Amino acid sequence: MNKIVTIQQSIMAEDEKFADAIRADNGKRGLLMVNLIGSPGCGKTTLLEKTAEARRLSFAVIEGDLATSRDAERLAKHDIPVVQVNTHGGCHLEANVVQKAMEALPLDTLDVLFVENVGNLVCPAEFDLGEDFKVALLSTPEGADKPLKYPYLFTSSEVILLTKADLLPYLNFDMDMFTRDVAHLNPSAKTVHVDSLSGRGLDEWLAILEERVREKKAHAL
Amino acid sequence: MHEFSLVESIVDSLLTMQQDAGWRRIVQVQLRVGVLRQVFPDILSFAFETVTRGTPLEGTKLVVEEVPLAFRCLDCGTTWGDEGGTCPCCGSIQRETLAGMELIIQSLEVEEPPS
Ligand SMILES: Nc1nc2c(ncn2[C@@H]2O[C@H](COP(=O)(O)OP(=O)(O)OP(=O)(O)O)[C@@H](O)[C@H]2O)c(=O)[nH]1
Ligand SMILES: [Mg+2]
Ligand SMILES: [Zn+2]
Ligand SMILES: [Zn+2]
Repeated sequence: MNKIVTIQQSIMAEDEKFADAIRADNGKRGLLMVNLIGSPGCGKTTLLEKTAEARRLSFAVIEGDLATSRDAERLAKHDIPVVQVNTHGGCHLEANVVQKAMEALPLDTLDVLFVENVGNLVCPAEFDLGEDFKVALLSTPEGADKPLKYPYLFTSSEVILLTKADLLPYLNFDMDMFTRDVAHLNPSAKTVHVDSLSGRGLDEWLAILEERVREKKAHAL
Repeated sequence: MHEFSLVESIVDSLLTMQQDAGWRRIVQVQLRVGVLRQVFPDILSFAFETVTRGTPLEGTKLVVEEVPLAFRCLDCGTTWGDEGGTCPCCGSIQRETLAGMELIIQSLEVEEPPS
């Protein structure tokens, strides 16, 4: 006999168990966790290097990379604790892997734990890692049409960074389209234009983090 | 091709459920997928067929129901749909997403072992 069973459970229920455990642990610790998502080469590691140079936050990084450990080496030069996770071709990180990586980090001494996700605008946005919020990075050479092409990432991120803003004079980046589409997808997102070479926009980025760190610590048990 | 990543999660969940409940076979899976997830039902079915070949889920049928977008204004309570953006009533940017983001296993048709 066949029967119909009602399930009503997320497709990712197994992954979400790990994500929920991470979120609960970080809640007790008062540790802010931020998931950085953007295309290959959009400037994720450079932003983390600049964030380290500013010396305003104590943080560690979980580096999701397809193969090499080059990004981890770049950050280690700035005395940032880094755990490298190679996905061996996998297009995104998953919470069970992140939970293991966290064991190697001095979590109780940190303000922020960053995850630099694998360079990709689709799958990394779909897998909850237990972060407090996602940051979508779009670099200006990629074009202003990307938010509408990748709506899930841009809708589900609390912060949207338009990186490589220094290149705007050389590109035909349609800023009106970008602003309109972001307002349509995610009207309450905080959008910051960042130029990591000159440091423009970094203060605004750091101020967002510092405010969220304060909130997180205030709510810790 | 993110459908392949999603299918791996679906397969994990289904195999766990089947093992826990002791069903003989899962005949059909009803999914609810929000439009914002950009899932193509044909690609999802193809990925599912490929990944389940030679497993207890070979031959299980996937049925995908698409869920349209819906938002509610956190300031005035107005609800609206597809057009997105700010609240059409009061212009507030504070909204919650009621629907359109889901990836849910809604129900299963299963074959029970003979009692
Ligand atoms: N002009 C300009 N170049 C930048 C900026 N930020 C990063 N870059 C350059 O862009 C290239 C890629 O930067 P990364 O920081 O390695 O990018 P990523 O996103 O970490 O790359 P993957 O981890 O490989 O996906 C490097 O050559 C950086 O120097 C910027 O604000 N302006
Ligand atoms: Mg990098
Ligand atoms: Zn993928
Ligand atoms: Zn309203």
